[in-house]
Amino acid sequence: MTRIMPKITLWRTIVALIFAAGLYATYARFALGFAKATNLTDPQPWGLWVGMGTLCGVGLSAGGFAIAAAVYLLGFERYRPVLRASVLVSFLGYSTVIAGMMYELGLPWRIWHPMVFWNRASMLFEISWCVMLYSTVLALEFSPALVEKIPWVRLRTFYLKWHHEILIALVMIGVVLSSLHQSFLGGLYLLTRGKLDPLWYSPYLPTLFYLSAIPAGLAVTIMAMYLSIRSLNVKVDPAILSELSRVIAPMLALYGMFRLVDLSKNGAFHSLWTWREETLSFGLEIALFIIAPLVLLSMEKVRNNPQSLYWTCALVVAGFMANRLNVSITGLQASSGVYYVPKWTEFAPTLMVLTIAVLAFRYAVIYLDILPKKETKMPSRLRWTVNSAAAEA
Amino acid sequence: MERTRAILVDITKCIGCRSCEQACKQVHGFPMDSEAKLSATALTVIEEHNGKFVRKMCMHCQDPACVSACLVGALKKSSAGPVTYNAAKCMGCRYCIVACPFSVPRYEWTKLVPYVKKCDMCAARQASGQQPACVEACPTGASTVGWRDDILEEAERRILAGGYVKRIYGSEEVGGTSVFFISDVPFEDLGFVVAPKQPMPMLTANALGDVPTVVLVGGSLLSGIYWITQRRQAVAVAEGRSASARPNDKERS
Repeated sequence: MTRIMPKITLWRTIVALIFAAGLYATYARFALGFAKATNLTDPQPWGLWVGMGTLCGVGLSAGGFAIAAAVYLLGFERYRPVLRASVLVSFLGYSTVIAGMMYELGLPWRIWHPMVFWNRASMLFEISWCVMLYSTVLALEFSPALVEKIPWVRLRTFYLKWHHEILIALVMIGVVLSSLHQSFLGGLYLLTRGKLDPLWYSPYLPTLFYLSAIPAGLAVTIMAMYLSIRSLNVKVDPAILSELSRVIAPMLALYGMFRLVDLSKNGAFHSLWTWREETLSFGLEIALFIIAPLVLLSMEKVRNNPQSLYWTCALVVAGFMANRLNVSITGLQASSGVYYVPKWTEFAPTLMVLTIAVLAFRYAVIYLDILPKKETKMPSRLRWTVNSAAAEA
Repeated sequence: MERTRAILVDITKCIGCRSCEQACKQVHGFPMDSEAKLSATALTVIEEHNGKFVRKMCMHCQDPACVSACLVGALKKSSAGPVTYNAAKCMGCRYCIVACPFSVPRYEWTKLVPYVKKCDMCAARQASGQQPACVEACPTGASTVGWRDDILEEAERRILAGGYVKRIYGSEEVGGTSVFFISDVPFEDLGFVVAPKQPMPMLTANALGDVPTVVLVGGSLLSGIYWITQRRQAVAVAEGRSASARPNDKERS
């Protein structure tokens, strides 16, 4: 009877609300302008769209290059079942960053300008080129998942053969590009010397950004895998996830040690004794990103239980986001003299773009061969084996 | 190096008449109401600090942070001294505003096609032999314009004559600027920022200089690792140990 209307469920309602809010915010941003749609001001010219959209978006998408390097370059075959999915997560992540850029830029129709107008002395110039190139690399790395669905056998074989030949080069280029722009995002803030709070300013910001992006990206991969296992018709050995989590802990420890040494070298510790909002944000960041995950991941019970592993990874992601928002917003507050709180019309587009990415991931896993599927029907499983061989090729 | 233009602001001579503000607004066609802070329609303002009048404007750094920050090269240090902005190149990323150590550039937040606004030392007027509008309008000679080395000499001469703090603000800040301030009270009491001494672009130059190294060393390192991985797998296969769960290649076709 009610075939025409889709069934109303809780999640569909939430998605619909997010879209409604996102679309209104899009209208506000482009038809009413920054002043109406955002709380951005001259003292705080970069807000949520840079702090969350760009810094977190790029950082949390670091899983793809890390896993591709592990499988193709280091020969860790055991991660291969999650390779495609992690590349897809990264590709969608970079897509959200580029979509977010359209809101963030004052003149988004000039987004192609860095291709034509060059300034090699600019960190942002290098980042824009790396993001452009790396998004292309990710699209190419992922392309077989789409191409193998093409019904014309000769075109398909031709493309997959060609892809096989350039794949290793692609992965290497991807690692180099990722290493460059993940660290250069931190490099952006080198110019804020004297403005950024000493709890976050460091000449080693590029290194810190790089070291923190990899564990955060892997945490996102684990979360995406867990959700796929739980809610989609997917069969992944949870042992892979707990093995991935074994890599996260030492990386977090390395980052934590680097951070500690760096802070003491910059003489930033004394500012922890005065009670400020910055101190609280700093404490939250360190607790969420370093201390809590390290304690939790040291417990075998947590590592081997997919659900607790999922929540631990959520902590890592939250801590990572706290760090990026602290660098881009909290740490600059005192010197800017304004108290920036994003308007809801700043959250809404970010949330909408993210929702689109999550939906895209979901439908990709359902309709393409992204993750090994449970054997509902024989052919599907068979197809996976064949295709994974082709993808690996 | 070519001789460049510079402005000297003598805080002891400023009477706070705001003629400079008005002249600036007039040449730019901005609304004439006086504003308390720099804005997209006020590229220079007089601020009052401890009973003194302090003029705010772009410092026209010798090696500007904004110029190094701008990814499309819309901001340029012209050979004549002023730091100029080419609106046609700008894409509105606002990194210049983040990067400026003096927090000078402003953005047209209320416009649907917003650009960056900052003082350009009336580069066009100066090119045609005129003075910057603000300097021309100053009735007391608190602002003067000239060749940078002459201006610095003049500032030193006034300081040596007495009655001033022994410091030219702008001579050392961020490696030197093209707008200088001299004052009879310490600059810290007048709201001047404590800027780093070295040119700001040096902060990012090192990391950017590493790009070719990262590409070369990283590339060869990765190739080396890949070679070792391949070799180990080949050896494993040759020795009859299966090289882990590598899907069978013959299934592909």
